[in-house]
Amino acid sequence: MKLELIGKPEGCKLLRMTLEVEPSLSTSSRIISLSIRGDFFAIPEEAFDEIQDELRGITIGEFAECFDRLAQEKALEFEGISGEGLMELIQKELNHDS
Amino acid sequence: MTHKFRLLETGFHPAVFNMGLDEAILDSVSQGNCLPTLRFYGWIPPAVSLGYFQGLQEEIDIEACKALGIDVVRRITGGGAVFHHHEVTYSIVIPLGHPLARSGIIDSYRILLAGIIEGLAELGIQSEFAPINDIVSAGKKISGNAQTRKKGCILQHGTIIVEVDIDLMFSILKVPQEKTKGKLIEDAKSRVTSIRNCLSVPDSVSFEELFCSTITALERGYSRALDLDYELSGPTDLELKNAERLAREKFSNNQWTALR
Repeated sequence: MKLELIGKPEGCKLLRMTLEVEPSLSTSSRIISLSIRGDFFAIPEEAFDEIQDELRGITIGEFAECFDRLAQEKALEFEGISGEGLMELIQKELNHDS
Repeated sequence: MTHKFRLLETGFHPAVFNMGLDEAILDSVSQGNCLPTLRFYGWIPPAVSLGYFQGLQEEIDIEACKALGIDVVRRITGGGAVFHHHEVTYSIVIPLGHPLARSGIIDSYRILLAGIIEGLAELGIQSEFAPINDIVSAGKKISGNAQTRKKGCILQHGTIIVEVDIDLMFSILKVPQEKTKGKLIEDAKSRVTSIRNCLSVPDSVSFEELFCSTITALERGYSRALDLDYELSGPTDLELKNAERLAREKFSNNQWTALR
């Protein structure tokens, strides 16, 4: 299932996410592919691209924690984006479905 | 403490060259081949620059840009899409170990934007830093900025809006409802301003005159705010060669522009 998410969570810039999960969206769904785009800043930029690759295979329920952990491991500095903000976009879709 | 800086005024160039030269300067400063550098420039033809993390088709009406002769380029810095037309653009490159460098992104913006705020004050415009990366005057955006850190340096660049055609801007930038929170374009117009608006400069004063006087004010502003001692110079031959190569091989490359 492929989802296109867009929003401006509190404390974030405009965020867009293309999320492919299997089989449908729930907290136990695994991420098949992920693309995060938007007006935010993340330094170093290449490390952010690596995070997206490394989030494949994790569950939706683990998303925010894994995102933050990977960001810390790669010494990523963010402004305008957070694991919590991205999870807010996903949660909106989860609430919509339930 | 006074800081020696190289000052460049490189005039009007296409988007790919402007971005190429910013990156070539970053390379130069990182290799210790020149002083920290402050550069002022303009864009011809007009252009839209896309933030590193933005999706091309989502943010920009490519067909409208083609029809209007507006170039499209992807920056190496994050942030939002910017329409470059009647503005002054600056870039500043400093090593991470420089006394003006700060480790936090917002602190870094605060310090490096002080020069613009002082420069606008020189023109008679009261403004303030609006985190994360804007400068506002009377609550309206007059400057947007973007920063990256690569090769041991900070590169920050941004725009100071001299005059603005909001209708033209919105004809090429796709602004989703989520960004404006459902507000109409008319409302968005009221949230952006320009030097011409702030000072009620009559149309008899050309953009070119305003461009030059803005650069003069910004140079003074940066000198005062950050205690800069300038060495007025031009890009080195190597920087120009690297800028042309980056313009050709990277910034004109559709794989880069359509990265997302």
